[in-house]
Amino acid sequence: MNKFTTFLIWIFIGVMNALLVWAILLLFILANYGLAVVISIFLVLTDWAIFSKKAYPYRYTLPALLFLFILTIYPIYYTIDTSFTNYGTGHLFTRTNAIDTLLTDPTYYFEPENPKTYDFKVFVRYDEQYKPTEDFLLLLYDEKNMYLSEKPVTLEYDSRGNLIYAESELFPVERDQITVNNATYKIIRPTESLGTSGNDSIMAIEKDGEIRYTYFYSPVDPLTSTNSAFYNSVLRQNYLKSLNLVLKGQNFRLSSSTIFKKFSEAYRVYDTSVKAIVDGEREIYKTVLVNTLTNKELVERDFAFWDYNENGELYRLIGYKDYIGGENFAKIITDPRISGPFFKIFGWNFAYAGLSVLFTFVVGLAFALVLNDVNLKGKVVYRTLLIIPWAIPAFISVLVWRNGFFNETYGVINKFLMGSLGIESVKWLNDPFWAKVAILITNTWLGFPYMMTISLGALQSIPGELYEAAVIDGATRWKQFKQITLPLLMVAVAPLLVMSFAFNFNNFTLIYLLTGGGPAMAGTSTPAGSTDILISYVYKLAFEGSHGQDFGFASAISMIIFAIIAVFSYFNFRFSGSFEEVSR
Amino acid sequence: MKKGLILTLVMLVGALSLFSQKLTVWSSEKQVDFMKRIGQEFTRDTGIVVEVQMVNFGDIKSKFLTAAQAGEGPDIIVGANDWVGELALNGLLEPIPKSAIELDKFAPSGIQAFTYEGKLYGLPYAIEAVGLLYNRDYVSDDEVPTNIDELMALAKELTTDETVGFAVVPNDFYQTYGFFSGYGAYVFGYDPQTGYDITDIGLNNEGAIKTGYLLKSFFDEGIMPQGMGYTIMDSMFTDGLIAMMINGPWSVKTYINAGIDFGVVPLTSIEVEPGKPMRPFVGSQGMMINSRSENKAFAMEFVINYLATAEGIYQFYIADPRGPSRLDVAKIVDEQGGPVPGDMVAAFTESAAGGIPMPNIPAMQSVWQPMSDALNNIINGTQTPEDALNDAVSKIKAALKL
Repeated sequence: MNKFTTFLIWIFIGVMNALLVWAILLLFILANYGLAVVISIFLVLTDWAIFSKKAYPYRYTLPALLFLFILTIYPIYYTIDTSFTNYGTGHLFTRTNAIDTLLTDPTYYFEPENPKTYDFKVFVRYDEQYKPTEDFLLLLYDEKNMYLSEKPVTLEYDSRGNLIYAESELFPVERDQITVNNATYKIIRPTESLGTSGNDSIMAIEKDGEIRYTYFYSPVDPLTSTNSAFYNSVLRQNYLKSLNLVLKGQNFRLSSSTIFKKFSEAYRVYDTSVKAIVDGEREIYKTVLVNTLTNKELVERDFAFWDYNENGELYRLIGYKDYIGGENFAKIITDPRISGPFFKIFGWNFAYAGLSVLFTFVVGLAFALVLNDVNLKGKVVYRTLLIIPWAIPAFISVLVWRNGFFNETYGVINKFLMGSLGIESVKWLNDPFWAKVAILITNTWLGFPYMMTISLGALQSIPGELYEAAVIDGATRWKQFKQITLPLLMVAVAPLLVMSFAFNFNNFTLIYLLTGGGPAMAGTSTPAGSTDILISYVYKLAFEGSHGQDFGFASAISMIIFAIIAVFSYFNFRFSGSFEEVSR
Repeated sequence: MKKGLILTLVMLVGALSLFSQKLTVWSSEKQVDFMKRIGQEFTRDTGIVVEVQMVNFGDIKSKFLTAAQAGEGPDIIVGANDWVGELALNGLLEPIPKSAIELDKFAPSGIQAFTYEGKLYGLPYAIEAVGLLYNRDYVSDDEVPTNIDELMALAKELTTDETVGFAVVPNDFYQTYGFFSGYGAYVFGYDPQTGYDITDIGLNNEGAIKTGYLLKSFFDEGIMPQGMGYTIMDSMFTDGLIAMMINGPWSVKTYINAGIDFGVVPLTSIEVEPGKPMRPFVGSQGMMINSRSENKAFAMEFVINYLATAEGIYQFYIADPRGPSRLDVAKIVDEQGGPVPGDMVAAFTESAAGGIPMPNIPAMQSVWQPMSDALNNIINGTQTPEDALNDAVSKIKAALKL
């Protein structure tokens, strides 16, 4: 290895380490600890693999392992984790988030009746290049009084770095002068307007006679509109939007009822308070949330905060996500609306997946045998035509089948085919039996080209001598197929059939697009349909249910489906022994 | 002068690129262009860039749900009033102070549609309800039926092997609700003081069962063919093969472009029984603000002062001709014209004025599928209307855990 290559490798290791350390820090800041730890471990392992001679082979498997983790194991973990929570509509945020929202969100501020409001002006210090800086003063005024506020001192940010609270004090300005924290501010007016006490003509405010804050912006003054970009995107965004101005026990905020053109009296509705609870002998101090208007403590139940309305009734404020144990799993067994039609759907699910595999394979194999015939002319054309169903996106062809073929009155099958044969029209999508037939027909159409293609490939691998020998022995075509073709074909194809079964077992798209699970089962208390398979049934329960989405429950069901498929696949592989055949 | 202008422009561009505060709006395709234009006005006035992104209408709610809870996503979404309940329950919508808007200028049904638990969670730009569309090749203006019996008789007369006398999407609860409410059925009991009472479901009462028999009779009497669905109805009317049908204002532009000579009457002008007119669901479209947004104050300013003004709502109307939600827009439409003839807009608006606001509470989500199942079973004769509707109500109750 020459020196240059070594140098490049060192550069690569350096850059990789730098990037990963940066990513880890970022993940920690975003509070995504799990992933941060995993990447840290990966980083250590990779460096070890690179530097240690013993770990040579791991150099190439480690990246693959990382992706395996991020793309497969982590989602599985996440699903399992979610299945034990109440994550879903009404329970999206963590408890801390919910409390934060109650305490700081502008929604939970109230303005008293007839609040005191003030107009305001912003004064900004310019730097040497005559650009505005973030050093500013606020002047609030009405007809009589003026109040000055320095740049806010108390600032709070949330985990994403957004300002959620800022505070500053207001000081009354008398005779155009005020002393705040040992600094004297003097209001500068144009000379000709001497003696007026109005606020229309203030040019600047001077601090200690040295620093000059120039009149910069007022939402009611069109002359300052050129400065609105800086005001809106810097000053208002970084300081004013959550600014609480305090004046002798009164609080003022940019008021949404004046569409943020004035400051108006506003108070927080909810605040924390410490309460002593006697627990046996000991006194425990507990922080609770209190409604400052009614002085009532908020009730916390069903993973949500509740407050009392005027009539003393509880209403829900905000819910949060939490662990609820095995409740989602228990629901599947104990809730009659889920367990009721479960076995019907379960049975059809197996029948559907099994029959789909059988039909697609039989049709596909038949075509493959025809195409494999040496005497057939124009094979390429036939093959191309037969692949077409596979080439058209299923989303389109399923809709064509549904609206174009299976419609009861206007569909091609009923209108022309049945009509010309003199058969009574079939309720394709509205009769439980025929809807199932329709699904199997469509799925066969969609799936046979795949089976045909793999069969064609497998047929090529069967040696021609076998057939020659069979012909000499006087075997019929059927016997040749049964004794030679099929057994040898199955060796190659059987694992793929099992995979195809697993795929169809969860083929949500086809069911959803073709019948939507319908027609509905009569006499049930759930939205179960006759053609629903497990996954589409669960989708209806989890996402079209009572209160919007229920991710926790959906995760629980996903795990059950995963378990069913895992068990089934295990026995299938075991008893068919297909893998052993292949590996031999 | 020119120098000054260039200098201002340079400064403005510089300012914009420096402080990349920006409002993101998710809207479906029709409104994107003019919203960009109004967004530029907002940028000129405040320096905040407005980015309008096109998202399929059907995807906006679900994408918003995912994005907003992660603290991302748009600042403003343009959507339907029936999203309000679920989104507000999740704490993802910012209430709009009623004192900040010209409440008296908006249609009350639009404001009610966006009100959830006493708070206003969106500003409507359109209110809409279905009406009866009739093709003048078959039905003249003075022949338009005023009650169900006349409608059935006329439809029977006009039905041939090729044409359909009267069409409605029979398994769609939204489209058929006019019949239900006409006969006295309702979804949830409503009290203006306390809101919706989800324990009071009126979908298997006498009126609902009557509706079930009526819908079934459309098929038994051969007025409507089996398998009627929205796409088929839509394309058959465009081809001039349907004499009368129930459809909404969103559909009319296609028919005008197809050269169909048709008229619209409000559904409320058709009585199911003497003195009992049909009352369709009233839906509303509007702008909602993401409560997790970092710029919700700007978003509110943009919505209230730029989009929900009379001129803004008129722009919405031009882009997407549904009934404007502001009463003062009618004057602008009269003066400046619009894409749909004024009498059609008036007919749909009248239908909406006499209709019933679609409940915006999350419980409504449990209603659609069971009702659609019930309607299907009634039409196919799988179940009697009594059984089907009782089943539907017990499904709704089970879903709501009552």
